[in-house]
Amino acid sequence: MSETKVNPIVDMRHVSVDFPVKGALPFIRKGCIQAVSDVSLTIHRGETFGIVGESGCGKSTLANAMIGMVKPTAGEVVFDGKNLYELSRDDFKATRRDMQMIFQDPFSSLNPRFNVYQIISEPMFIRGQDSEATMKARVIELLELVGLSKDDLYRYPSDFSGGQRQRLGIARAIILNPTFLVCDEPVSALDVSVHAQILNLLTDIQKKLKLTYVFISHNLAVVKSICDRMIVMYLGKIMEAGNVKTIFDNPLHPYTHALLSAVLDTDQTKQREQVILKGDIPSPIDPPKGCRFYQRCPKAMEGCKTIPAPEITVEEDHVVACHYVNGFPESVEKGEGYDTPLKQQADE
Amino acid sequence: MKAVLKSIGRFFLKRFKGIRRFIKRVWAHRQGKIGLTMVTFLVIVAVFAPWIAPFDPYDVAERTTKGLPPSTTHLLGTTINTGQDIFSMLVYGTRVSLIVGVSSGVLIAIVGSVLGVMAGYIGGAVDSFIMRLVDVLLVIPTLPLVIVLTNVLGRDFWIIILIFVAIGWTGLSRTIRSLVLVLKNSNYVKAAELSGASRFHIMIRHILPGTSHLLIMSTALSSAGIMVAEAGLSFLGLGDPTAISWGKMLADAQSGGALLFGAWWWIIAPGIGIFMAVFAFMRIGIVVEEILNPRMKQSSGVYKIFKNLNSSYVEDVFNSMDEHAQIGEASSAKGGAHG
Amino acid sequence: MAEQTLTLRNLKVVFPSGMGLIRAVEGVDIDIGKGESIALVGESGCGKSVTSMSIMKLIESPPAITKMDQLTFAGDDIKDYTPSQMQSVRGKMMAMIFQDAMTSLNPVMTCGKQIDEMFMRHMQLNKKAAREETVKALELVGVPEPRKRAKNFPHELSGGMRQRVLLAMAFACMPKLIIADEPTTALDVTIQAQVLSVLRDMQKKHDVSLLVVTHDLSVVANIADTVYVMYSGKIVEKASVKQLFKQPFHPYSAGLLASVPSLSDTAGHFVQIPGSVPHPMKKPTGCYFHPRCHYAKDKCKASMPPLSAHDDGRQVRCFYPLKTNGGTSNV
Repeated sequence: MSETKVNPIVDMRHVSVDFPVKGALPFIRKGCIQAVSDVSLTIHRGETFGIVGESGCGKSTLANAMIGMVKPTAGEVVFDGKNLYELSRDDFKATRRDMQMIFQDPFSSLNPRFNVYQIISEPMFIRGQDSEATMKARVIELLELVGLSKDDLYRYPSDFSGGQRQRLGIARAIILNPTFLVCDEPVSALDVSVHAQILNLLTDIQKKLKLTYVFISHNLAVVKSICDRMIVMYLGKIMEAGNVKTIFDNPLHPYTHALLSAVLDTDQTKQREQVILKGDIPSPIDPPKGCRFYQRCPKAMEGCKTIPAPEITVEEDHVVACHYVNGFPESVEKGEGYDTPLKQQADE
Repeated sequence: MKAVLKSIGRFFLKRFKGIRRFIKRVWAHRQGKIGLTMVTFLVIVAVFAPWIAPFDPYDVAERTTKGLPPSTTHLLGTTINTGQDIFSMLVYGTRVSLIVGVSSGVLIAIVGSVLGVMAGYIGGAVDSFIMRLVDVLLVIPTLPLVIVLTNVLGRDFWIIILIFVAIGWTGLSRTIRSLVLVLKNSNYVKAAELSGASRFHIMIRHILPGTSHLLIMSTALSSAGIMVAEAGLSFLGLGDPTAISWGKMLADAQSGGALLFGAWWWIIAPGIGIFMAVFAFMRIGIVVEEILNPRMKQSSGVYKIFKNLNSSYVEDVFNSMDEHAQIGEASSAKGGAHG
Repeated sequence: MAEQTLTLRNLKVVFPSGMGLIRAVEGVDIDIGKGESIALVGESGCGKSVTSMSIMKLIESPPAITKMDQLTFAGDDIKDYTPSQMQSVRGKMMAMIFQDAMTSLNPVMTCGKQIDEMFMRHMQLNKKAAREETVKALELVGVPEPRKRAKNFPHELSGGMRQRVLLAMAFACMPKLIIADEPTTALDVTIQAQVLSVLRDMQKKHDVSLLVVTHDLSVVANIADTVYVMYSGKIVEKASVKQLFKQPFHPYSAGLLASVPSLSDTAGHFVQIPGSVPHPMKKPTGCYFHPRCHYAKDKCKASMPPLSAHDDGRQVRCFYPLKTNGGTSNV
């Protein structure tokens, strides 16, 4: 454990990603989408790291910043000891071969004009070091690994079901033996009865190839089952982070509570309290100055509006950013009546 | 060296296979059959014109044959003023019309796709520049521009083709650009980028093939359009004066007084030529569009299947869904018996 | 017997295609009592949406060919209603909520105006009175500042708000039955919880019958009283939500429940159903589920089991239902 901590595979330090929003006139910026703001995290070798949040929370942008698809506006991303955005072009390309991605939509992630062999072998083809024969042998090997057969080699994506397509996507992702795999909601576009197949395949492959996973999901139950550590994101910020076990045993952030209550529990005898959040996810353009969650938070106080909630370690490997949990920091100016509960907007 | 040649060979072989498969799909439609047959016919006529034409269409010295109506020697009669054989002119005219139409169509596809892909894929300043150029070209009225250009540059055959291309690429490049914007954001392009693919690789292997159907359709449709436009230009006297084209035949008929002397064959012959060529290319264009746009195919195809359905067959299928039919010996509680 | 809102008997729908007939729905019976909330659950291609559309008579024919023995709605036999007769039923007596609010709302019309139209058409109200009703309706579904929101265009609202506008529209004329086709699939989990609770409250408060079509078992758990599980065009199980979640009888329902990860699971391995949903043109012989079923025996391969009745009004289409007492029944 201590060894892995010394050498994490991904280390993100104060990463922010902003996207300018263009106004109607050129050269005039309407505003900035703060997709990710000041996020720091480390991912250890061989673990599965969960990123949980709803649409617009920045989880995909964060993952893209990790694999060098989006350049952060601030902060640095260190992958395997190398600062990703300071590498030379060739080194960057070479480093990036160690990372791959599995996409949410298995329909748009495979080129419909390519056959299975062309799709899976493409990363090898691009690298351009292998003969046709080795490529073919490798593709067949991978097809068998993901549960398809040699006979599928010259079929086209349209011949496959959603689950099978996702298997093809997985095969393509691991053909160059990456060490790091980002799974962006890999099952949410699939039929319920094939979810388990794909999740099992992913965990099997991880064991076999000793991969590190980043697993993006909005389903806490899945995250609980397959992840080791996780973060909960809301509007570009980390709300709660830490060991999955610790968080599920003792969820602290009100947002985590809300997400937990949205998960189906097949055990109907247990009556769980349903937390229903008010309002909508606010636009990431000009997010709230204080805690980003205060508008929808059932526990919000006056001070939450203006004072940003710092990430505070509450127990080993468990970080929470919430004034309700941690109390307001002492060093900042708080103003009158900062700890009175915030009146909820009329939204019933 | 050998390996390079081999891979180039394989590249073309694969492309060729794709084209053959595509032609097969077009052939599967009735309209496509008509179009392909007619285009093939026109191409044969154009290529073998010297063997097919019984007379020299450029021979204006034969004063004895002025204004003859259709007969066995002169299948479509002769012209009134010069006595040229109209059938031979028609056959040779196929060459000009086809070459102008098809080569403009192909050049438009090339220019339009290159500029469209560049605008869509590279984006930024390149995109702005190309799209503003399109805007400018689209607002300039075509005919006056053509008149000015033909007067300045001359009326050579190839210059006319270039003028058509210079005007015609705009619409196509715009369509291609919007398609490229969609393809560019697809996850398979992202996956290729992740594997270290260069921009060139992505353009050639992922983006350009994605636009190929559109290019074929555009070539067919713009070829047809340009054949008409070429005829119009020649009719106005703006075409190549030395080449025999269908438009020029019409113009000659008009100036030669075909209507005045009742020489209907002189007008109808080039008309049929233009009609056939445009009809053939339009058919192909329409079929390709139908293949491209599955919704169109469905609405016509499924409706046809629906109409041809045997009602007793449907009844059989419905009956086979019944519980009794399937359970056979099972005598247990029947489904649908609710309390 | 409680008052029935809807009785559907033996619905069959096929679609012609180039390769033959696609059997979308193969003899489905559905009963909805007054104020009851029913869920129709299944995976993509199982025929659940086609079933719900057939009840509304929104399936276009051609191409579809539909046949049913009975369709009674609120005491009227609407089986042979013409499209124009259906128009007076739809919206007023029977309303629909679609998955994608963005495409089911007219983008060039304000949301308020679209609800106004419902009142003007079905209740013959004038413009002003209709707007008052619209504001009331929006308020009921929890839209803050309804008067202001009514003047917004659909694209100016968030996904959750748009879905509420659809709810308001559906409840506008207080219909007898609301059919919701994947009402929350496009929404985020916390928004989904909001919309479902509004839907549930409205349904209970106004005693409206509800038919929810979904693939999501958590939606079912939140909103339905009774569940119909569909597989490949046939109902395979009917049970109350409590019963189904406690002890599913059909192996498919059991697999479906097991494959949904739950917070009480601890192991990192998921129970999986092998294979995938059969193609509607290549359905297996016998029980459609047998190639994927752990318990399949020779009989399952040979013939389709009937939908047999069990205790408490449960129905299962299986020769060997999974009962806790272990006995295989009904053969």
